[in-house]
Amino acid sequence: MSTNHTSGAGSAVHAKKAEIFCKDEARVDWHSKALWMLREKRDRAASSIPEWEQLRELGSQLKLHTLTHLDQYLEEFEKNCLANGIQVHWAKDGIEHNQIVHKILADKQVKKLVKSKSMLTEECHLNPYLESHGIEVIDTDLGERIIQLAEQPPSHIVVPAIHMKKEEVGELFHDKLGTKAGAADPLYLTRAARAHLREKFLSADAAMTGVNMAIADKGTVVVCTNEGNADMGANLPKLQLHSMGIDKIVPDLDSAAVILRTLARNATGQPVTTYSSFYRGPQTDGEMHIIIVDNGRTDMLQDKILAESLKCIRCGGCLNTCPVYRRSGGYSYNYTIPGPIGIAVGAQNDDTNSIPWACTLCGSCSYVCPTKVPLDKIIHHHRRLKAKAGKLPYGKRSYMPLVGNFMASETMLNCSMSVARTALRILPGAMLKPFSGAWGKYRELPIAPKSSFETWFNKNRGQ
Amino acid sequence: MKIALFIPCLVNQMMPHVGIATVELLEKLGHQVILPKGQTCCGQPMTNSGCFDEAKKTTLKLLNAFKGVECDAIVCPAASCLVAAKENFHEFDTSPEAQAVIDKLYELTEFLHDVAPIKAFNKPFNHKISLQLSCHGIRMLDLATPSEQMGPRTNKVEAVLKAIPSIEIVYPGRYDECCGFGGTFAVDEGAVSAKMGKDKAQAHAETGAKYAVGFDPSCLLHLDGMMRRQKLPIETLHIAQVINAAL
Repeated sequence: MSTNHTSGAGSAVHAKKAEIFCKDEARVDWHSKALWMLREKRDRAASSIPEWEQLRELGSQLKLHTLTHLDQYLEEFEKNCLANGIQVHWAKDGIEHNQIVHKILADKQVKKLVKSKSMLTEECHLNPYLESHGIEVIDTDLGERIIQLAEQPPSHIVVPAIHMKKEEVGELFHDKLGTKAGAADPLYLTRAARAHLREKFLSADAAMTGVNMAIADKGTVVVCTNEGNADMGANLPKLQLHSMGIDKIVPDLDSAAVILRTLARNATGQPVTTYSSFYRGPQTDGEMHIIIVDNGRTDMLQDKILAESLKCIRCGGCLNTCPVYRRSGGYSYNYTIPGPIGIAVGAQNDDTNSIPWACTLCGSCSYVCPTKVPLDKIIHHHRRLKAKAGKLPYGKRSYMPLVGNFMASETMLNCSMSVARTALRILPGAMLKPFSGAWGKYRELPIAPKSSFETWFNKNRGQ
Repeated sequence: MKIALFIPCLVNQMMPHVGIATVELLEKLGHQVILPKGQTCCGQPMTNSGCFDEAKKTTLKLLNAFKGVECDAIVCPAASCLVAAKENFHEFDTSPEAQAVIDKLYELTEFLHDVAPIKAFNKPFNHKISLQLSCHGIRMLDLATPSEQMGPRTNKVEAVLKAIPSIEIVYPGRYDECCGFGGTFAVDEGAVSAKMGKDKAQAHAETGAKYAVGFDPSCLLHLDGMMRRQKLPIETLHIAQVINAAL
């Protein structure tokens, strides 16, 4: 997996980027509230199904089962796809994926490709690759189109333009699509985007979508959208392409049904996505291609704890509930996929070695997850892997061994804490603040007691 | 019962009043309380940073303080430290002696709810309190059902406190969202931690409660710093202080 273009050498660590995001507190509040509303909708939708927790358990087990029999199901899937007249391609990484896509498009002299949201093509950096080969790529999901016009990466995996206010979208559309200056009415702007996209759909030579699920025993892919854009794309041009990670495979329709019941509910609180389309073969005289991508996934399967992150169905629920994501924004994570799942699947590619620490280990993500990905445990594990590899963030590298020795010595701990307590008690706060780092910058320092508990106990209970 | 106290470093050094309230309330309930020597830290700051090598010496020092100590239970007034101690003891020592210690570990609320319930409170607590349901206690120790989980709901913290005469229990908005302390997160990710703490402190204050009451001293220390910085008309109290005042 390659890193996202917001990353790279010299990029700031998560805390630094988050601190910049936090400077505009009104925007942080707005961002946090918008995402929390999704969490609340999710809670209402989940509570409307008495068997919700059983569905989560089923989802977890069926994904684990498939992941542990991946070779068998992928082969079955390929066999059934071929029988359905679908052409199947295998890509070991993002580069190979992009080359395969380009070859298919070049063979048909495709000049214009309409694409429906796919985090995998983001992960592979497909758009810039195709554009460099003279192919125009139009993202057709409204949110994706907005950020494409703004030349930004997604900041959320389900609502990619969640960081932009409607006024900002109005300004962007005025610039790029010629809408009225100062217009911020969502209905007006959506209609403008719809007219603009309609023209693109009608003139496209090929369509490409991501894959929510690939059903092994049917040779079918499932694509879920709310805007019908994937269907509009796939049904107009004769050439359709679908990119999927190897982790998207499920055994059969029954297992797909389990995931369909939780996916939209956990993402946006809808009972199901407006369009949940099953593609099982090319149009008459058309071609259908499926590109199956590994891109580091089999490596993750080697580690029992990291492997569980491949159970993820990309609902975005963990982002919406994450108190850190909501207050630091998607771009602070230095990876295409932000939030808890972004840390889980992207930490090994994070050249700042900071994202596993962009988490309080509160565990809300693990409980919200519809397939029970143990996100907090995976994030904790990533920290250990980073430490083992000698890749602790700079600050920790310098102080953690000291803390280890310090805490193991009662004498050192007691003496220095006694000094600290005295200092906190007698020195004016203003003198201490510069020495107390982030704690004193944002909070009042603790009111220090005269002596330790142990001293009290020994004095009053006489041991 | 004979109870050995597990007093985490933060309580010992910075919040002795939590330890004192714990001792007093357990004694009022008729238990004998001892404090095994040699306790410093559970190793959580290190293991949560990924630094398991650095955590080993400290964790084993704490474990050894309890090994062979004659007692019916080991009680700790700090959920996060309790969870970390359990996990770290397992990580570094798989002996039956270590398991014997682990089997006796209880967080204070857990102990008062599951093991030795309080029969009756003697005094009223004439205040409105806003409960701080800290993450590790609810999501790793099952002290209350987290809001993400559907189905039947339990809440041991409320169950223990609601028997106190005159007490009024309320919750802040987004009642079980993390307060942002997160151990070294409070220092490493200062801006986000502070924003989370500010939001949580304000949510507690908006309930109109006199006290924000919780079972995790570290979260309370962080919230206390935020509340005083924001000059909010609310203070923090540990659950042990409330129970002790009502016995």
